[in-house]
Amino acid sequence: MTLKLPEICTVDSVTPLWKQRMPEVGKLKAGEVLILDADSVKRYDGSAEALIIEVHRCAAAQGFSVEYRDAASVIAKTLKIFNPAVFSDHTAYDLPPRNTHTVVQVGEAAVRIWRDIVDVLAFLGEVVTSGLSFLVRPGRLRLRDTMLCIERAGMDALPIVALIGFLIGLILAFLSGSSMRQFGVEVYVADLISIGLFREMGALITAIILAGRTGSAFAAELGTMKVNEEIDALTTLSLPPVLFLALPRVLAAAFVLPFLSIFAVFMGLFGGFVVLWMMDIPAITYWQHVFNAITVNNVLIGLTKALTFGLLVGLSGCSHGLHAKRSADAVGQAATASVVGSLVLITIFDGIFSVLLFILDI
Amino acid sequence: MNDTVIEVKDLVAGYEGRVILKDISFAVRKGETFIVLGGSGCGKSTLLKHMIGLHPLLAGEVRILGHRIQGGGVAEREAAMRSFGVTYQSGALFGNMTLLENVCLPLESFTDLPSDARRLIAEMKLELVGLKPFANYFPTDVSGGMKKRAAIARAMALDPQVLLLDEPSAGLDPVTSAELDRLILRLRDTHGISFVIVTHELASIFAIGDRCIMLDAETRTIIAEGNPTELRDTSPLEKVRTFFNPAARQG
Ligand SMILES: Nc1ncnc2c1ncn2[C@@H]1O[C@H](COP(=O)(O)OP(=O)(O)O)[C@@H](O)[C@H]1O
Ligand SMILES: [Mg+2]
Repeated sequence: MTLKLPEICTVDSVTPLWKQRMPEVGKLKAGEVLILDADSVKRYDGSAEALIIEVHRCAAAQGFSVEYRDAASVIAKTLKIFNPAVFSDHTAYDLPPRNTHTVVQVGEAAVRIWRDIVDVLAFLGEVVTSGLSFLVRPGRLRLRDTMLCIERAGMDALPIVALIGFLIGLILAFLSGSSMRQFGVEVYVADLISIGLFREMGALITAIILAGRTGSAFAAELGTMKVNEEIDALTTLSLPPVLFLALPRVLAAAFVLPFLSIFAVFMGLFGGFVVLWMMDIPAITYWQHVFNAITVNNVLIGLTKALTFGLLVGLSGCSHGLHAKRSADAVGQAATASVVGSLVLITIFDGIFSVLLFILDI
Repeated sequence: MNDTVIEVKDLVAGYEGRVILKDISFAVRKGETFIVLGGSGCGKSTLLKHMIGLHPLLAGEVRILGHRIQGGGVAEREAAMRSFGVTYQSGALFGNMTLLENVCLPLESFTDLPSDARRLIAEMKLELVGLKPFANYFPTDVSGGMKKRAAIARAMALDPQVLLLDEPSAGLDPVTSAELDRLILRLRDTHGISFVIVTHELASIFAIGDRCIMLDAETRTIIAEGNPTELRDTSPLEKVRTFFNPAARQG
C-alpha cells in the first residue's frame, strides 16, 4: 500500500491520516511493502514527524518493509533527529488497570483506614516524644503559634458551634418530644437532652466541626509548607517540624474542644428549652429536670471524650499534612484524608468509650 | 518584512492603569534569538506577559505572525495564541501530572489526534530535550534543569514558530545553563524556531543572542537595542557598557 503525505503536512491534515490510514498500516504483515510518499511535502510539523516515526515503529514490530519517496528529504531529516528504536516501548507508560470491583474497593478502603489509624498512632508517638523534649526545654514550644491556633480553632468556631448545637438540641427535643407526648411524659425530654448532650452529642458534634474546620486547615497548611520546602528549612535549622509545627496545633485542638463542647451543650439545652416551652412545659420545670440529670460522671465523661477527640483531630490533621507529597494536588488530598481520618478515628474511639463505660457500668 | 514573527509597536504595559513600560517598539525576525535584558523588577516578565495576551495592553499593538493579540477579534487572537509557546519564570509544570502528561496537555486541548498519536508526539518532544527516559516522572522528582527542559518540551508541543522563555537559566548552574543554551541553538537550527528569551546570564547572552533589547526601570522603556557584542563595545551609554562588561566596572 501507499501512504501519501499531503503538501501541507500539519496537525489538521495529519489527524485524518492518523485516524483512517494508520489502522490499515497496523494490519500489514511481514514481507509486505509500504510506500511512504513524502515527495510533495512543503511544510510539516511535529505531528508529521510522529507519523513517520509511527510507521517505522510498526514496521519494526510487524516485519513489513518501508520504501521512501523522499524528494524533499523530509523523512531523512526526521530520522536524523529521532531514532525510531527509542520509541519502541509502546505500552511502557500504561498505568496498571484500576480494579473497580466493589468487593476489592471495600477491601482497599478497609486497608486504607487501618493504615490511617496506625499512622496517626505512630504520629502520636512522635508528638509525645517531642512533647517530652519540650518538658526538658519548655522554651522551644511556640507559645504564640499555640495561642493563634487556639484562637482560630476555638474563638472563631463559636458562631457555627452555637448554631449547630442549638439546632441539635432542637431536633433532639422534637424527635423525643413527639413520642413521649403520647405517654404524657414530655417533661422527661429535658432529662434525655441533658444526658445525651453532656455524655455524647456535645463532644461528638463539636469534634466533627473541628475536623472539618480545623483539621483540614492544619493538613493544608503543613502540606503547603512541605511543597514550599519550608519543612526542609525547619529540619536543617534543627527545629523538628513535629515539635515546631505539630505540637502547638495538636495541643490547641485538644485544649479548645472541651470548651467548645460545653458551649455546644448549653446551646443545645437552650434549643431543647425552646421546643418544650412551645409544648407548654414551664421554664422552671425544664431547667430543674435538666440540672437534676447532670451528674459529675456525665460531665467528666463528656469532657474526656472531647479532649480525646480534639487530640485525634489535631493528630490526624498534622500527620496528613506533614506526610503529604509535594504537589498542589497532594495538599488537597491530604486535607480530605485528614477529615476522613478524623471522622473514622472519632467514631472508633467513641465506640471504645461506649464499650468501656458499659463494662465499668458508669 | 515577511520574515517578522513578532512585531511590537508603541506598546504601553502595566497593571490597573499603573504604567510599568511605555514606548516599546521592536520586531523579532524569523529564526533569531532575541534577548530581553534589564535589572530585576524593570518589567521583563510584564513585557512578556503582555506580549502573549495574559494582561490587556494599555496602548499599542502586538502582532504574532501577523495576528493581533488584542484588538482583532476572537479568531485572530486565537490564531495568535496558537502560534507561540511559552515557559514561565517559576516553571509552572502541573505537579499532579507526569512530564509526559504535561506535554500531552496542549495536544489534548488543541488537536483532535488519537491518543496514541498524541503520546508519541509528546514522547518525541521529550526526546528533543533529552528527557524521554523520565517521561513518567513527576515534576517534583526531577532536577531544576530538567524541569526547565520539560517546560520547553511542553511549550513546543504544538510546534510553535516562536518560543518565549522567561529566565530559563535562573537558578541553574553554569554547566546546566550552557546545556540549555545548546538545546536552544539546536532547536533553532533543526526546527527554525525563533526565541524571545529573558535572561541575565552574560555567558548565555553572548553564546546565543542574535539581538537584544535592554529595559530600564528609571525611564521605563528600551534604552538599547542591537547585537550584544556591538552594544558592549560601542554603546554610547555607560550603563549599557558596564552591564555587558562587569570586569571593567571593577577595574
Ligand atoms: N500582576 C501584577 N500586578 C501588579 N503589578 C505587578 C504584577 N506583576 C508585576 N508587577 C509589578 O511590575 C513591576 C515589574 O515586574 P516584573 O515584570 O515581574 O519584573 P522583572 O520580570 O523584570 O523582574 C514590578 O514593580 C512589579 O511589582
Ligand atoms: Mg521576571
